[in-house]
Amino acid sequence: MSAAVTMPQSTPAGDARVKPKRERTFTQTNGRPDYVKIGLWVSLMVTGALWAIPFYIMFVTSLKSKAEISQTSAWSLPQDWVWSNYADAIETGNLWTTGGNSLLISLVKVPLGLLLAAACAYAIARIRFKFNRVALGVIAVGSMVPIQIGLGPLFSTMVNLDLLDNVWGLMLPYLAFGIPYQVFVLYGFMRAVPDEIEESARIDGASTFRVFWQLILPLAKPALAALFILDFVATWNEYAMATTLLQSQDNWTIPLAVQSFSTQFATDYGPLNAFVFMSAVPVLIVYLLFQRYFVSGALAGAVKG
Amino acid sequence: MTTQSPPRSGAPTPSRSARPVRRRRSPFLRALPYLIPAVGLYGYFLLYPMLDAVRLSFFTWSGFKTDEPAFVGIDNYVRMFTSDPVFWKAFGNSVIWVVLSLLVPMMLALLLALGLNRKMLGRNLLRSVFYLPAVFASITVAAMWRWLYNPTLGMVNQLLEAVGLEEWTRTWLGDPKIALYSVFVASVWQAVGFSMVLLLAGLQNVPQELVEAAKIDGANAWQVFRNVTIPALRPTFIVVVILTMINSLKVFDLIVGMTGGGPAQSTQVLALWSYTQSFTNHSFGQGGAVATVLLLVSLALVVPYMLWTMRGEDK
Repeated sequence: MSAAVTMPQSTPAGDARVKPKRERTFTQTNGRPDYVKIGLWVSLMVTGALWAIPFYIMFVTSLKSKAEISQTSAWSLPQDWVWSNYADAIETGNLWTTGGNSLLISLVKVPLGLLLAAACAYAIARIRFKFNRVALGVIAVGSMVPIQIGLGPLFSTMVNLDLLDNVWGLMLPYLAFGIPYQVFVLYGFMRAVPDEIEESARIDGASTFRVFWQLILPLAKPALAALFILDFVATWNEYAMATTLLQSQDNWTIPLAVQSFSTQFATDYGPLNAFVFMSAVPVLIVYLLFQRYFVSGALAGAVKG
Repeated sequence: MTTQSPPRSGAPTPSRSARPVRRRRSPFLRALPYLIPAVGLYGYFLLYPMLDAVRLSFFTWSGFKTDEPAFVGIDNYVRMFTSDPVFWKAFGNSVIWVVLSLLVPMMLALLLALGLNRKMLGRNLLRSVFYLPAVFASITVAAMWRWLYNPTLGMVNQLLEAVGLEEWTRTWLGDPKIALYSVFVASVWQAVGFSMVLLLAGLQNVPQELVEAAKIDGANAWQVFRNVTIPALRPTFIVVVILTMINSLKVFDLIVGMTGGGPAQSTQVLALWSYTQSFTNHSFGQGGAVATVLLLVSLALVVPYMLWTMRGEDK
């Protein structure tokens, strides 16, 4: 979160650093093995393996039959690879409906929210009306308080608007809860655009809107890309508001569907783990698509430089 | 999509003149069309509900439309502070959670970031492995870990048995003494990657010339770290601290998914207790009182940071 923001041309994550002429991995300058480095590498690898264990367990579980889950070790590979767990998961989790709802919400809400946040950040950062910093402060505070505080009254508000249990209605609070952080980050980014650039556009007769649309917005692309990832992940995974505001199963989003796999007495772990894997696929796709902006954009910019 | 209407500048566009800034409508009026959509949504669906929660904390209300809220003054607070042991449990657990989050995952993230900032075999793979849990929904992470903690079939107890530590096996989520910490382990697993990525980004701001210069002057690794890396990393570190605190106060999904606050309210936290009071116990007044405490705690942690960020930006 930011005030001043490193501009996009600053070094993107570690790889662009000044490198020594010769790459040394595990040897010192004099060619002898560097035991400190080897020790570091080994401990990182062990920690990494520890972090990967839950994924391994999930994966093997997702391919085991119910009987096998209760009879064999959690570590063992499946004897029969029960791919039908994935088909069962699609059915039990109602994946096409819940996934469709999640996708609809994310694909409408995320770009729209970014546009509104960018417009707001532009006004605060570039138009410089009176009290603009007060406005920024009031908005930014909203990104830092837990959403659960307003959940009760939000429920009443949505009831009064007749938008309870409505996928489109859910987008309104989702927009509201994404905006503060985005305004905060984009403000820093837009603030860092040199005045001369805007002045020369003004001299050429550009209107306020054109300066926003054709000058400032394109310059903020790295931040927008990074915020797109963050917001997509957050929206796709949001649970607290969805569970409060969506009721009928046809309106459920992916995180709500997880509870379909448990009854009061038992959980169907094979299909559940299959569902968990499948539910993360869209997020992983978005992450891979925008990855190169991820670190260099809002995150490097998240820091007061 | 509903785009806001493009506001044209009020004054007629003069032909190109040398004067860079023309007088137009007041800046505020020009800013308004850009502000209204975002500020309106924010105000109505975020700010207003939060303030309304504070208002409701002085009322008693079931939350049903047919029912009218009745003003009761500070009764809700009196009840909460004096005769609601769950509130104090939740408050204590929230404090424990914030403190532990500042110690464990943050230190781990710093070590990982420092380690993975060096060139080494498999660096990108490791970074991905640590970050991957962060893209999964907390509620699915909760489901996964409930499986890993399963008393008989779960990986954790089976691992302990396999290495001969049978006496360490337990019902990780069923024992009120340790359930909170069991959930916390899952949160560390999930949260470390994001802090690590932030710190890795921050490490790119460490001036390499200074590192080289210090080495030439004979500084050892620790001295370089202490006198060059740490100061350059400080701004990032503060951001990570703030985000960690905020996220610890927000913790909700993981607890709902793993223990539901139990057993015997031993994993209750403020965010969940506010929700439970409002929606399960149908007492929006009590829920509002808990929410107000949560709001004040959040502000106390966050406002100093806000002031720090905005400092020196006067123009």
